[in-house]
Amino acid sequence: MTEHRVLAVSAREGTGKGATRALRRNNFVPATLYGGNESAASIAVASRALAIELEQGGFYTRIYDLNLDGKKIRALPREVQHHPVSGVPYHVDFLRVTDRTKLRVWVPMRFANEESCVGLREGGVLNIVRHEVEMHCTAGAIPSELVVDLAPFALGDSIHVDAVDLPQGVRPVIERNFTIATIAAPSALRSEAEEAEAAEAEAAEEGAEASATAEGGDDKATEGKDDKGKDDKAKEGKEGA
Amino acid sequence: MQQPKKYRWRKQHKGRIHGTAQAGASLNFGAYGLKAVEPGRLSARQIEASRRAITRHMKRAGRLWIRVFPDVPVSKKPIEVRMGSGKGSVEWWAVRVRPGRILFELDGIDEDIAREAFRLASSKLPVRTTFVRRSGD
Repeated sequence: MTEHRVLAVSAREGTGKGATRALRRNNFVPATLYGGNESAASIAVASRALAIELEQGGFYTRIYDLNLDGKKIRALPREVQHHPVSGVPYHVDFLRVTDRTKLRVWVPMRFANEESCVGLREGGVLNIVRHEVEMHCTAGAIPSELVVDLAPFALGDSIHVDAVDLPQGVRPVIERNFTIATIAAPSALRSEAEEAEAAEAEAAEEGAEASATAEGGDDKATEGKDDKGKDDKAKEGKEGA
Repeated sequence: MQQPKKYRWRKQHKGRIHGTAQAGASLNFGAYGLKAVEPGRLSARQIEASRRAITRHMKRAGRLWIRVFPDVPVSKKPIEVRMGSGKGSVEWWAVRVRPGRILFELDGIDEDIAREAFRLASSKLPVRTTFVRRSGD
């Protein structure tokens, strides 16, 4: 079920750079309320209240009862624009919804039972491919998060969307069975395996070379010198370019 | 070091850096990021030095994304050469960074390790930076 909260907003007069900058100077964030077969309304939200809501996470999956001049309007946040440097919220979009409104919502993923995950205990790293997944659902049934139980997954496993228990009436926008995360071997483990492989390959090469030297050893020594000279020339050419 | 595999024009104008970042200003891959807060030109060598500092501090755990690519050729005249006679040869590659641009992203490690890795990386860069993380994490 969708979480509901109350957020105080006020109607704002005037649009454009001057009016919105004045609003931001007074610790308000300009916002727009649209949808629901009504005309769009320009509103303002208190910066402090908005910052608290944003910091808690799951802002886009929560329905707000906007208290606009004594009138309650049910709305879902659709977009927050941030200042690129300071990260301060600059503008918010709200969509008027009812419980039956059909939506596409980005739902955050949560990974549970990391301690009991076989792959992670073996030294694997959880590589999150998608932090959020876009879902088709109604406004009354937006899941606040989707939980993945990591316990049964081993090293090298991929966690796909079919491993997630989706609530009724919620389905992913992408229809194929896409990857959400993988449990990858850390580069330390990988490099050990690579080193072992390289050592095996070297040993095999040495064996082959030993048999070749038995046939004509002097030729090989001169070839090696020539190769080194070629490499040096190639390197110089590259640096010069 | 990063540099383009092929390019259409051998030399470019110096250019100027105006305004704030329009793209690449939010975290797209990892949980933590390093953001530039002033404009500047980063060389491929500086990006590589930062990358090494980060990977060494992480001790091969976690995952790193480099969000900038040096695609601007920078030319230089040889020493003791009189002015004129055309533009110098391309010496190195750079990326122009506007304030707000995410330079690196990290995931799969603790926040304190990410902070220290980015502090070490930041000291290799010619621009001031700040640490950012996903909200609600």
